[in-house]
Amino acid sequence: MKKYLRVFAALFKACAIAQFEFRLNFIVKLAADLIWYMTQLSIFEVLFHHTRSISGWTLESTRVFMGILFLVDALWMMLFSENLDRMSDKIRRGDLDLLLVKPINSQFMMSLKVMDPAYIVNISLITGWLIWALTQLPEPVVWSRLLLLLITIPCGLIITYSIRFLFSASALIFTRAENINYVWYNFYRLATRPDTIYPAWLRYTVLTFLPLGFVASVPARLILETPDLVLLAAAVFAASLSLYISHRFWNFGLRFYSSASS
Amino acid sequence: MNSYENVIETVDLTRVFLTYRKAEGIWNSIRGFWHREYVRKVALQPTTLRIEGGEIIGLVGANGAGKTTLLKLLSGLIHPSGGDARVLGYRPWERKPDFLRRISILLGQKNQLWWDIPPADSYDLLARIYDLDEKEARNRVTELAELLQCRDLLHVQLRRLSLGERMKMEIIGSLLHRPSVLFLDEPTIGLDIVAQTNIREFLAEYVKRERPTIILTSHYMDDISKLSDRLLLISKGAIVYDGTVPDFMNSVEHVQRLTAVLERPPESPRELASGLVLSPGTEMFTAELPATQIAPTLQKLMEISPLKDLKIEEADFEDVIRKFLEKESRLRATGGPIAT
Amino acid sequence: METTIWSAIVTSTGQESFGGFPRESYIAYALWGAFFGRIGSNWMYEYRMIEEIETGSVNGVLVRPISFFEYYLSQFMGYKLLTTFISFLVPIFITLTVANGPTIHARLPLACAVLILYLFLVHTISFSVATLSFFLTRVHGFTVAKNIGLTILTGELFPLDLVPEPYRTWLLWLPFSNSVFVPVGYLTGRLGIEDVARGVLSIFMGLAFFGMIAAVAWRAGCRRYSGTGA
Repeated sequence: MKKYLRVFAALFKACAIAQFEFRLNFIVKLAADLIWYMTQLSIFEVLFHHTRSISGWTLESTRVFMGILFLVDALWMMLFSENLDRMSDKIRRGDLDLLLVKPINSQFMMSLKVMDPAYIVNISLITGWLIWALTQLPEPVVWSRLLLLLITIPCGLIITYSIRFLFSASALIFTRAENINYVWYNFYRLATRPDTIYPAWLRYTVLTFLPLGFVASVPARLILETPDLVLLAAAVFAASLSLYISHRFWNFGLRFYSSASS
Repeated sequence: MNSYENVIETVDLTRVFLTYRKAEGIWNSIRGFWHREYVRKVALQPTTLRIEGGEIIGLVGANGAGKTTLLKLLSGLIHPSGGDARVLGYRPWERKPDFLRRISILLGQKNQLWWDIPPADSYDLLARIYDLDEKEARNRVTELAELLQCRDLLHVQLRRLSLGERMKMEIIGSLLHRPSVLFLDEPTIGLDIVAQTNIREFLAEYVKRERPTIILTSHYMDDISKLSDRLLLISKGAIVYDGTVPDFMNSVEHVQRLTAVLERPPESPRELASGLVLSPGTEMFTAELPATQIAPTLQKLMEISPLKDLKIEEADFEDVIRKFLEKESRLRATGGPIAT
Repeated sequence: METTIWSAIVTSTGQESFGGFPRESYIAYALWGAFFGRIGSNWMYEYRMIEEIETGSVNGVLVRPISFFEYYLSQFMGYKLLTTFISFLVPIFITLTVANGPTIHARLPLACAVLILYLFLVHTISFSVATLSFFLTRVHGFTVAKNIGLTILTGELFPLDLVPEPYRTWLLWLPFSNSVFVPVGYLTGRLGIEDVARGVLSIFMGLAFFGMIAAVAWRAGCRRYSGTGA
């Protein structure tokens, strides 16, 4: 365990150093991200001009929701995005082989090989926004509830990771999986809106089989309302289960890969 | 590193895989949707090998002959279809961490080092992955870099280095943890002559110092002839020769190259002892002939004209191997894919 | 996906209409909006233009009889027209059968005409962005940022008439609204012919503006390019 922490720290540091090279790139990317955040937020700003609430969410509570969503997204972009998006490519080209001969877990390396520490800037900005949004709530926020975020945000991140990983890792078995990215993106959109707006069957799905509701909806609710411990436990359970499944699938895929390639 | 008995041992190690026959034409493509005709390809015929510690094996063969398959089997990247193999006492495909810590693989065209950071930082990462002591690892890097004459490049980002320099860095990366067994797949491919020679010299020196077991594949015969103790020729998945390089040279037909420059080129076609015909006007004559034919051919040439220049050379190692492999594959023409 | 979300949003407000229009209107808008939006965006050809300038193969283009601009325009338009015809079959089919809502099919030709006119502007803007490659490396980020920003300005994310004043008027005068909001709004009955006329006018203004920028940037770029030599 300690070894993995050390490797992670070294990877992070190395990627950070590499990034200082591309300053203009960083600024442009940050600008693109900011524009994206603003467009997403403006949707709701405009919508709430015409109604007081959408399925129990008000403008203020939706802002909190979006803040949490952006936070998980930024963490995702920082740690995993680059690796998982390129994974099927790498597998196809045989880059996986070089990782397999090393005495370290290949899933770990595949997922974290290239990180983007610049997102720390995004994370700081988003955290600022989130705190502002919390102060705007009509009822004073119970600040101690924010501690729950320390649990729920990692859970949301792990769930996103695991599901995405399952999609990407299918490249071990189906070599021609170009549309996977597109399918994933559409699934992920389910996480970007509060779960209560969905019809019952869909809402049930995003809280069970495809636990994307735990990415932002559940964490937001846990802060805004009295914390429902069952929900909290469900989040942790969903995260652990999905991670476990991704791990098993990876091993299965590797066995397939080793038997099928030449 | 101590040498000990049979570092690598295989018994009837086989590798077969299924691909489907690609359909020709529209009709068959549509039919292929339901009914895939699977073709059984033998990548590696049942192979039994014994390799001792400290040996350097040169593995030579045409593309697709099975070199990479053998390498991948022995390094644990793929599972065999049959037979067994043990490297350092482990079964490679079980991929036990202790096994992985003692082997290393270098794939000629792929980078294992990180692209955007200097090699020195990559090595720090590798040190952590292999649980090496940091200080010791750094000393090792310095030591290897000195031997490879690239010490001043350690802190330049990998993507800024030339191909030859990158390959040197990759080599250092693969030797960082003092592997007992080293698999080198085309280490000098695509490099210029200077880089190739550097690396070859380095490997020769390294081998003398550390005595690892190496399996080396290459298309450059100089790599093989100058570094290997033992030569394995592989053709269509089977080992067709296993012995030393000098023995190989002796066992095949001794061929030499004759180059002669004539003072008076002939005016009409003239037949030579070896059955070759000398065309009119030829001033410089070159031919590869079995050693026994050199003298008679030379005599005939001298009857035609006095010679201005004469050269007799040993045939290229590369040519010899090529001819040998061609002959072997002709003999094995029946060993192709079998439809199931 | 979008339709589910819109449907949910409107039902959840508990009102029959939202911003003055019923639920079906939004579903139709979302459906058509997705298609119009995709046609009206330019990723691939912008990247190609950027790449060609970046890698310096512009030399080959500069020598050609037709200009760089025209060459890519023809490629771009050809591709878009073809994909438009094919992909529009889907929403046409759906709105004729399953979701027989407020779509006024007779208006489809004019709506498409607006979109096609808009594509000329798209190309001009893409061209301008591509000329940045003369001066900067790694221009891709600009494409990404621009296209993200456009999702709002075109009306792809939501109908622009929901936006409160004074922003609404600004947005409607920007030419970008002609990618989705104007044609789809007209098609689903939110807008009338006057709005279309205004839209067309704004496209021409946009063409003039960006055309000028494109011409200036191109000339400056070429001068710089041949200055450094390649």
